[in-house]
Amino acid sequence: MRIMSALGLALVASVGVIAQQAPPPTAKPWVMPRTPDGKPELQGVWSNATITPLERPQGITDLVLSEEAAARMERAVIARRDRLNEPSDPNRPAPPQGGDGSTGAAGNVGGYNNFWLDPGERVAVVDGQRRSSLIIDPPNGHVPVLTPEARARQAARAKAFAGRGQYDHPEYRPLAERCLLSFGPTTPLVPNYFYNNNLQIVQTPGHVMILMEMVHDARIVRIGATHVPKHIRPWMGDSIGQWEGDTLVVDTTNFPPQQNFRGSSENLHVIERFRRADATTINYRFTVDDPTTFTAAFTGEIPFRAMNELIYEYACHEGNYALSNILSGARNEEKRLGSKQQ
Amino acid sequence: MSKRNVFAGLLLLAGLVVTGRTVLAHHAFGAEFDANAPIRLQGKIVRLEWVNPHTWIHIETVKDGQPEVWMVEGGTPNTLLRRGITKETVAIGTEVIVDGYQTKDHSLKRANGRDITFTDGRKLFMGSSGTGAPRDGKDPTEGGGAPPPPKKPGGF
Repeated sequence: MRIMSALGLALVASVGVIAQQAPPPTAKPWVMPRTPDGKPELQGVWSNATITPLERPQGITDLVLSEEAAARMERAVIARRDRLNEPSDPNRPAPPQGGDGSTGAAGNVGGYNNFWLDPGERVAVVDGQRRSSLIIDPPNGHVPVLTPEARARQAARAKAFAGRGQYDHPEYRPLAERCLLSFGPTTPLVPNYFYNNNLQIVQTPGHVMILMEMVHDARIVRIGATHVPKHIRPWMGDSIGQWEGDTLVVDTTNFPPQQNFRGSSENLHVIERFRRADATTINYRFTVDDPTTFTAAFTGEIPFRAMNELIYEYACHEGNYALSNILSGARNEEKRLGSKQQ
Repeated sequence: MSKRNVFAGLLLLAGLVVTGRTVLAHHAFGAEFDANAPIRLQGKIVRLEWVNPHTWIHIETVKDGQPEVWMVEGGTPNTLLRRGITKETVAIGTEVIVDGYQTKDHSLKRANGRDITFTDGRKLFMGSSGTGAPRDGKDPTEGGGAPPPPKKPGGF
C-alpha cells in the first residue's frame, strides 16, 4: 500500500499540468492491496472485539441501531467500566462466608478486577450499519432452537459429568482449562467479550493461517484442498478455502467431539467469508450449520478492525496453576468428606 | 464500592452466552476457590508472575508474628501490556490489600484476587492522577514518595 502511494505521488509529480487538475492525494480512493499472486491482502493483525452481542438483546427488534442508540450503548459500557475501576473501601472486610453470590465463570467466589479486561467498547459497524446483534439471519437475531436430539445429547452430557468423576483426571477437564484451546470459539471467530480478541492472518498462495491470541490457537486453511477423511478430527476442525472473486471462503468440518459451538455436534459445518472492506476493515461473515443440533442454519457478521500492534505471546500451559489447584482442591475435599464420614 | 465479580456483570451487560456452556473463562473460579474460605490479606508484594493464563501476585503477610507468602490470582497480563503496564510498573515491596477466596486445597496459600488495591483503596493497576502510573513510593515527584494514607470508608 505504501509503495502504491509512493508510485501514485511520483506519477502525479511527473505529469506536471495534468497533476494540477487531479484531486488532492488525500482524496484518492482506496485501492485493494494485493499479495504478489494477486489475491486481496488479508494479512495483518486484527481485532474482532465489540460490545454487540452474538444474539440480539431482548427489547430490540431491529438489526440496525440508530446512531443515538449505539452511542447510548457505548456510553453505558464506558460508564460501567469507570464505575468498576473506582477505588474500593480500604477497610473492607473479607468477602462473605459461603460465597458472594456471583454467577457465571466467577461461580460464587468472584473473579478478579475489571482492569484486567478488554472486552471492547464499540458497537459493531458493518457496511455503515450499527448492529444490534452479530447474527443477521434468522432475522430475529437469535440462534435457532435446538433439535430434540441436541437437547437429549446435552442432558446426557450433563448427567455424565454431574458426579465427582469430572475431577478425577486432567483429561476430564475442559479444553480451555487444559490450555488446549481458547474458551472463546475458534471457528467461527466470534469474540469472547473478555480480552485478547486479537488475531493475525498470514497468507501464502497455498495456505492462510489464522492465529488467535487467545491460547495461541493457529488454524491453517488449505487453499484449493479437499477435506481430510471423516475419522481425522483436528482440535479446530479441518479448514479448506477458495477465493470467490475477492472474497476468501473457508469451509470447516471434521470437528472433534470435545469441541462445540452453542451445543453443536461433530456434524458442525462452518462457512466463513473474509472480504476486505477498506484500509482498516475486514468484513467477516460466518454461517453455522449442524442439522443434528440446530433446527436451521444461522449467519452472522463481524467487522475485524486493523490493529497497529503485534500479537502477544499467550503461553498458557506453562503458567497454568489453575488446573493443579482444581484437581488438588478436589482431593482436599475428598479428604475432608472422608474424615467427616469416619 | 462494589466488589462484585466483573464476569457476571459483563455477561449480563452484553446479554451473551457465547459457547452455550455455563463457564466462559479460562476456568471455573468456583472449581478452584472455596466459597467457604473467604480471606482478606494485607502485605507487601514480593514477586510478580506476569504469565498467562493468569497473573499471580505473591504477597508477604504476617500471621501470629510469622511471615507467610500468599499467591493471588489475577487476569491475563496481555491486556495490561497493551496499556504499557509491565511487571516493573509496580515495585516489589508495594503494600496491597486483597480480598478473595482461598483455594479449595487449603494446604496451599493461594487465593483469587477478587479485589486487589493499594492500601488507600485505589485499584492496583489503575494509575495515579499524575503520571498515569501507580504510585509506589519510588518517584520523589509524587510528593513524599509514599502512597497516601488510607481514607475512611466512603471517602471516595
